[in-house]
Amino acid sequence: MAKADQRFGQRDGSDQNFDYMFKLLIIGNSSVGKTSFLFRYADDSFSSSFVSTVGIDFKVKTVYRNDKRVKLQIWDTAGQERYRTITTAYYRGAMGFILMYDITNEESYNAVQDWATQIKTYSWDNAQVILVGNKCDMDEERVVPFEKGKHLADQLGFEYYEASAKENINVRQVFERLVDIICVKMSERVDVEPPMVTGAKTTRLTDKPPQLPQNCC
Amino acid sequence: MTDTMFGSENEQWVCPNDRQLMLRAKLHTGWSIHTFQSERQRKAQALEKRELDLIMSVIHRAEQLELIEQHRIGRLVERLDNMRSSAMGNGLSQCLLCGEVFGLLGSSSVLCLDCCMKVCTKCGIETTAGGQKRTQWLCKICSEQREVWKRSGAWFYKALPKHIRPIKDSILDNRKPVIERGEQLPVARSAPISYTWAQSRVYLSESDGSDAELSECSSDRKTFASETNQRRDSESSGGQVQTPQSSFTSPTRGNVHIESPSSLVSEQSSSSSFNPGLEDEVIDHSRTLLTPPALSRAGSLRSSSTSQKSEGPQADANRDEDDLDQAFGATALVASKKEEEPDVEGYDSDDSTTLGTLDFSLLYDQENNALHCTINKAKLPVPRYKKGLKPMDHNGLSDPYVKLHLLPGASKANKLRTKTLRNTLNPVWSETLTYYGITDEDMVRKTLRISVCDEDKFRHNEFIGETRIPLKKLKPNQTKNFSNCLEKQLPIDKTDDKSLEERGRIMISLKYSSQKSGLVVGIIRCAHLAAMDANGFSDPYVKTYLKPDENKKSKHKTAVKKKTLNPEFNEEFFYEIKYADLSKKTLEVTVWDYDIGKSNDFIGGVSLGINASGERLKHWFDCLKNKDKKIERWHTLTNELPGSGYND
Repeated sequence: MAKADQRFGQRDGSDQNFDYMFKLLIIGNSSVGKTSFLFRYADDSFSSSFVSTVGIDFKVKTVYRNDKRVKLQIWDTAGQERYRTITTAYYRGAMGFILMYDITNEESYNAVQDWATQIKTYSWDNAQVILVGNKCDMDEERVVPFEKGKHLADQLGFEYYEASAKENINVRQVFERLVDIICVKMSERVDVEPPMVTGAKTTRLTDKPPQLPQNCC
Repeated sequence: MTDTMFGSENEQWVCPNDRQLMLRAKLHTGWSIHTFQSERQRKAQALEKRELDLIMSVIHRAEQLELIEQHRIGRLVERLDNMRSSAMGNGLSQCLLCGEVFGLLGSSSVLCLDCCMKVCTKCGIETTAGGQKRTQWLCKICSEQREVWKRSGAWFYKALPKHIRPIKDSILDNRKPVIERGEQLPVARSAPISYTWAQSRVYLSESDGSDAELSECSSDRKTFASETNQRRDSESSGGQVQTPQSSFTSPTRGNVHIESPSSLVSEQSSSSSFNPGLEDEVIDHSRTLLTPPALSRAGSLRSSSTSQKSEGPQADANRDEDDLDQAFGATALVASKKEEEPDVEGYDSDDSTTLGTLDFSLLYDQENNALHCTINKAKLPVPRYKKGLKPMDHNGLSDPYVKLHLLPGASKANKLRTKTLRNTLNPVWSETLTYYGITDEDMVRKTLRISVCDEDKFRHNEFIGETRIPLKKLKPNQTKNFSNCLEKQLPIDKTDDKSLEERGRIMISLKYSSQKSGLVVGIIRCAHLAAMDANGFSDPYVKTYLKPDENKKSKHKTAVKKKTLNPEFNEEFFYEIKYADLSKKTLEVTVWDYDIGKSNDFIGGVSLGINASGERLKHWFDCLKNKDKKIERWHTLTNELPGSGYND
């Protein structure tokens, strides 16, 4: 596996024929299906056996979107507590997040709020987030209704999808939507608020806290 | 490093809000820095060596990708700086870029939205940003600045990320011949003298919206071409003596972002192999991208190289830059030359003339069915020194570019093209062009033709030389470097456009769903479609039929993708059919170019079924054999209409 990943990274790393480079991060509780989700999108493969991710991993995929070639570096994180120090170090570089929970696991849904807090704490303020309820094919074991997930996403200001890595439901749509909203944010930043010539030559370290809607507690 | 990280955090200290306090409570990290640090150290010790090794290998891959990205951003910044240094006007009474004087007899001026300087309408770009009704103008420098901010990610990190700029050129007279081929960096340093200036011109050209606009711009420049070229040469020389200061500095935050992941794990790992590994990666990276050119001077090797079948990269290590010596060597080899094919271009051909050399590398990505062609650089002949050769340009220089075709069946559908570099005989493109949808069958049958041409604004583009590579020479997933001599253009069977065999490629997925009792057809994407519109693009969409179809219910259409030859559809259509009946059916897929107010143009089509052949038959059989399994394949579109009587 490591050797194959090495070759895969090498192959895609040498491709210079793209327009934009976006870094994405998949986070969520352990065993909600983050790695399967990434493998379904990048390799179109699925494995029922569960192997816990060690720390971090990433895959590279180049997609055509709105007549542009966008190179995605998609980071997969371990959901376990013991890797938290390592995984949060990669939040800062991520332009987009996929926050995932398991619709058959109430605990993973309850942890979404904590994961959202971590995004707010460790990432840049202009990162985009999509909330994904995975394993939507297991409807008979569902414990989190669609409306409940949608409501939480609206509260947090995230987009919302239910998906299934196993049945390949909404997997590509989640990534395409994330790329689209990052592109919209990029156009807003560059074309609507153009950087001043003098401003472009100076280092600006301002990091405004994200303006997420407050969740009453 | 730990103290540094905490110091950095202290600099960013703000009063924590309730959410942060809640997070700390749930993370059980306590409330003091000391306790937090102790907790981190305890967690670090919990990781096993095997886990650390796994994490380190991922970080190695990421560092490698990051380095390539830094070089890419460095090239973007370099081009932008070259555009700035090429500006000639004052931006008030003259155009900022080309220096044209405004006034009653001069051209009209527009004001750049970003830098508030005046440019002529040819050196500016119209934009309607932010939904404003009034048209805004940007000069090409500021437009390029915005593009650099998008492509480098600076729009997100609020400053330009860390980058590595191209190594500065040494001037031509002081260049020393490279003796040791193992030394890669000197090869990079010996890039041609006109590289930076040519790059700047390329981006000026690329900023133009259309060829007509480009032609007008060049027409204006031709009026004072000699003065312009002379001044730019001086500026280029000046730029090499004093290294220009970069207008962007790496932000502290960016450094923290880049360094903290690896340094974080380095603290926990007792292994000291990290830095040597990185050095090896850098060396491998250099070796992959920088192919030292090899100019063959032995008579037998030269004769062999100029034959129709292309040989592998030359082992000769000699690199002789002296033009006179090269001319002498060419003259001495007259007798050993073989008879050449008749020249279809009508040149006054001199048998002893070399057409130059081209350095490139090819990589067949078998998993993704992609052929990556990296065009590195070329060394072209000097026209005015060769007796009998037509001069490529009046000034004795060329404006070279490279175009690729896949033979047999060369057409606009499978043509790829590099940028045009201005006024150089030693162009360095360093550009990767990619063919998608290349199957293993193609790798056995197809030949890649690489042509070097001279772009001319007022006449037909001139052919310089070509080389051909049978794709079966390549091993999958292995990059192969070439340094081939260019040859005369070999005749190919000319066919009318309408009878061309290949019109592009399409990726189709098939799955028979037992649950739904039907066939799911996925139209995923197309690649290298034929251009049907005057602007060089098409507006493609796909139609599918499952035939025979008595009631014509099986017609499905995708959405129209505007102005692209590589559309992504990602649409699925469902045909309700019993499994026993499926084997008697034929799936017909056609690609059309949508035109408003006119009948749509047919681009290409493909049939899958019992009567199909090759890859299409295999795909159909695999679908029948494997129920409930989604199978994706690339297929070649042909110009023959499946069935008859089609009207859109």
